[in-house]
Amino acid sequence: MNKDSLKALTNAHAWVGLVISTILFIIFFAGSISLFRDDINAWELNPHFAVNEQSEKFSFDSLINEVAQEYNINTHGYFILSMPTAEQPLANLYFEEKISEEEHVDQHLILAPNGKVIGKGNGSRWGDFLYELHYDLHIPEVGLYFVGIVSLFFFVALLSGVVIHWRKIITKFFQYRKDGNKDKLLDAHNLIGVMGLPFHIMYAFSGLVFNLLIIYQISYAVVLYGGDQNELFKAAGVVDVHLDETNIVMPVQGIDNLFLTAKDSLGEVAIDRVSIDHFGDESASVTFRGADKSQFSTRKEATYHIASGRVLYLTKDNFDNDLRGGLSVISSLHFGDFAGYLIRVLFFILGIGTCYIILTGNLMWIQKKANLRAEKQNALGLKVVYAMTTGGFIGTIFASAIGFVFARIIPIDTLGRSDLISYLFFGCLFTAIVVSLNIKAQKQFAAIFLKITAVLLALTPILDWLFVSQGIMAMLNVGYYHVIVVEGMLLSLALFCWLIAARLFVNKRTEVNETITESINVSVQEQTPLST
Amino acid sequence: MWSRTFAGLIIGLLLSVSIVLNLNLLLPIKEDTMLLIGLLLAFPIWAGIQVWAYSFTSAKKAWLKLSLVLIPSVLINAILLSLR
Repeated sequence: MNKDSLKALTNAHAWVGLVISTILFIIFFAGSISLFRDDINAWELNPHFAVNEQSEKFSFDSLINEVAQEYNINTHGYFILSMPTAEQPLANLYFEEKISEEEHVDQHLILAPNGKVIGKGNGSRWGDFLYELHYDLHIPEVGLYFVGIVSLFFFVALLSGVVIHWRKIITKFFQYRKDGNKDKLLDAHNLIGVMGLPFHIMYAFSGLVFNLLIIYQISYAVVLYGGDQNELFKAAGVVDVHLDETNIVMPVQGIDNLFLTAKDSLGEVAIDRVSIDHFGDESASVTFRGADKSQFSTRKEATYHIASGRVLYLTKDNFDNDLRGGLSVISSLHFGDFAGYLIRVLFFILGIGTCYIILTGNLMWIQKKANLRAEKQNALGLKVVYAMTTGGFIGTIFASAIGFVFARIIPIDTLGRSDLISYLFFGCLFTAIVVSLNIKAQKQFAAIFLKITAVLLALTPILDWLFVSQGIMAMLNVGYYHVIVVEGMLLSLALFCWLIAARLFVNKRTEVNETITESINVSVQEQTPLST
Repeated sequence: MWSRTFAGLIIGLLLSVSIVLNLNLLLPIKEDTMLLIGLLLAFPIWAGIQVWAYSFTSAKKAWLKLSLVLIPSVLINAILLSLR
């Protein structure tokens, strides 16, 4: 590649990185935390519904009887049961309640390991909130595609970064010059970028698949299948087991037996999800889904017509379709759900490392622009980038820390609890950006803001033990450690924030001296031609 | 920069669809496997084209060169689809 092309690409790398930086930071930060989404949900909920028994027989039929008596379940709506697992003793039931012909209400019930209803879970969605933030930023309709486009430019930044750094990728592999401020940022940027390259590429690619698949879906359907989307779905392994509604009312019964049949037919499987279509109609069907933990990323599924017990669909190997199998592998890689906690801890470290890459990228740009002469500086641009870096980046971590604190201290049965926490999150993030835009001493502000965030993150474990210590102990006694996992994650984030505040945003005397010396040199050089 | 961005974004998308479609029409592989291969290739091609667009020193050059690659690929699409 010639010099001009390399220069153009280097400029583009910086420009793309800068444009997507704040959104990418939010995506990666929320995504890294979301690796522990199930733990966060359990951290929020389980101590309030502590169980004493590790495994009890789960009865679907008595659960359905109990729920059907209390609620008017919408036949045309969803009815999904997330089963208790070895890692999670409580089950969750999600369904649509019919209030009137027009009005339907989403319901979320918490179930004991035996299937008894023990509470409502509508207000506890902090883990899910963070996960949704990760994939669509809570922007309705277009958020998913927007995140997809950002993922594409993340991929572009990765590829351009490799091309730019290619000649030094081996020789400077472990280079880290800690003494020079600019070198330190650049070396950290390159070092983490190169070390985590396979991880970054996997995330950029899988993120694109999840968020922008529809583009290729449409083009394939139009060009290859003459506009018939159903034909494409068929080729892609999407199985339609839909039965037409008969409008004959029939109570849902016999799920316990069908569950045993499904387990028998599917072989080695941990069924984690049970769903019922057309609840209460004669045409109702039940689907059992699960993963074969003895294999890498193998999903199994069986669907039965409830009234007759007839098998409507059964697959033991990812819907017996290469595309579905491939998507399942991509999904396992993205969520890190194939090798226990260790792989998720590794992905978490790499994810936070990516946040650091984004931060160092922006700081390098700021440093470069700040060192330009006053007449060449774009003061507004510099201010905005600085504000998005301190307010946007640190604001995201701060807002998340606030979310964790309030998810612990707001009583679990408070009406509108989830909404209140989400308003607090966005309120904090927005305020942080506005405050950053109006502060001149950005470096000092960033350091103080990061330290406050670190304290808040470390405060959550203390609040855990102040508010729900009994519930935590009860869960620990039966071998469930979600609270400890989340506390460990929060404390490591607190440490990370504190270290960044102490190392990266510190105003050292030497640094000040260096800047003064540099300024003197520049002015001397400027004056020299005049004097001669 | 914006013009080169749009060049890569638009032509990159079209080119990725076109190349993958050509492979789909040319290779004698079963349907679901072909769809998976297409999916695995399409996004990296799109991102790669975007990087290529940025490597040009002017937007005009980027639009021109990328179009020169897109046109033959689309022509092959048309020929293969008409022979189908």
